[in-house]
Amino acid sequence: MGEIRFMKGNEALAEAAIRAGMQGYFGYPITPQSEVIEYLAAEKPNHNYTLLQAESEVASINMVYGGAAAGSRVMTTTSSPGYSLMQEGVSYIACAELPCVIANIARGGPGLGTIQPGQGDYFQAVKGGGHGDYRLIVLAPNSVQEMVDFTILGFDLADKYRTPVLVLSDGAIGQMMEKVVLPEPKQYNPDKPWATTGKTHDRERNYITSLYIQSEHMEKKNIELQKKFDLIEKNEIRYEEYKTEDAEVIIVAYGVTSRSSKKVVDLAREGGIKMGLLRPITLWPFPKERISELAASDRVKSFFSVEMSAGQMVEDVKLAVNGKKPTYFYGRTGGIIPTPEEIIDFIKTKV
Amino acid sequence: MPAKGYVDIIVDACKGCGLCVTNCPTQCLDLKKDDTNSYGYHYSYMADEDKCIACMNCAVMCPDSVITVYKKTG
Repeated sequence: MGEIRFMKGNEALAEAAIRAGMQGYFGYPITPQSEVIEYLAAEKPNHNYTLLQAESEVASINMVYGGAAAGSRVMTTTSSPGYSLMQEGVSYIACAELPCVIANIARGGPGLGTIQPGQGDYFQAVKGGGHGDYRLIVLAPNSVQEMVDFTILGFDLADKYRTPVLVLSDGAIGQMMEKVVLPEPKQYNPDKPWATTGKTHDRERNYITSLYIQSEHMEKKNIELQKKFDLIEKNEIRYEEYKTEDAEVIIVAYGVTSRSSKKVVDLAREGGIKMGLLRPITLWPFPKERISELAASDRVKSFFSVEMSAGQMVEDVKLAVNGKKPTYFYGRTGGIIPTPEEIIDFIKTKV
Repeated sequence: MPAKGYVDIIVDACKGCGLCVTNCPTQCLDLKKDDTNSYGYHYSYMADEDKCIACMNCAVMCPDSVITVYKKTG
């Protein structure tokens, strides 16, 4: 068993990155994410990693690109407006097939928005975000413990598939304090024969690019990428279910709203409504097969998507339900976290 | 009735979650709507200093332990 500490979500994420053997962090402070870079700066004298506050988010993601190309375990973190700035770099990294972890401690949008938690970045996170055909593995923690677990898992998945991994958290998880169990620090020994570490006499030079001028080459690259994404969709779907075995009403929620929704399930069951919660852990790949399966069963009557957005994940839920059962949406925006009471009041108007 | 206590808040460590405001039995605390700390959060402050009864609910509730309550003596 690892070390037990009482930590803030952002600090836990930073500590997890250190324990995962992170070698480089490049970032730019933005509320509600600033504690990550603050923690890493404070811990820097005790560890061996590169820490740099870049001049902007555009610079930090391109530093991550460079660090990843050189075979280092690298990370950046930001919040919603900063992540928008990073999109060009993320697309480049995805095309160049480089592993890295990006954490988006999302806040309310659009625009400069608010600094309170939001989930309005769902589309940007799961549908690509930048230009071109690519996907990111998107992990959505709902507790401080999962901030730790998913950061470490994120690094491992990134290396396994050579793809950027996005930890899509929100201001509430980033700012809340909870007990965490930290794993033992890992020694990171990369096996990256493709890394640009300088040509040796026994191999050809390594070459990393996202530029393919000839259409045939670009298409070949795209086909390779799609094969990889298919493989990820096959292997890496993760989700959690709560009391869905006999549920007639299913709530689908991720991140901090899944915690409100868990309470809703308990409240509803006290009131005689058989409710269950399905929490996607990987937002991409989305657990659509499981939702289809539930939608096909006679027992389940309806689906509810609860989000801190104006209705984003509900589209994926609807695609998975595929018209078999009615699907409703409840959301709050602007940094307001829906309370269990208001969610259950809404659900009662529909069932 | 004069206040029995004084609430000291570390402004820059406050994330404006409002738990202290919700749990104050005398509505002594509020979030500062016209000012922010260095992170941009509307921090908690003593809106009505006379109302504090030094019950320490705010300090117990504060998830970031930024509140200290002083009891007035004499």
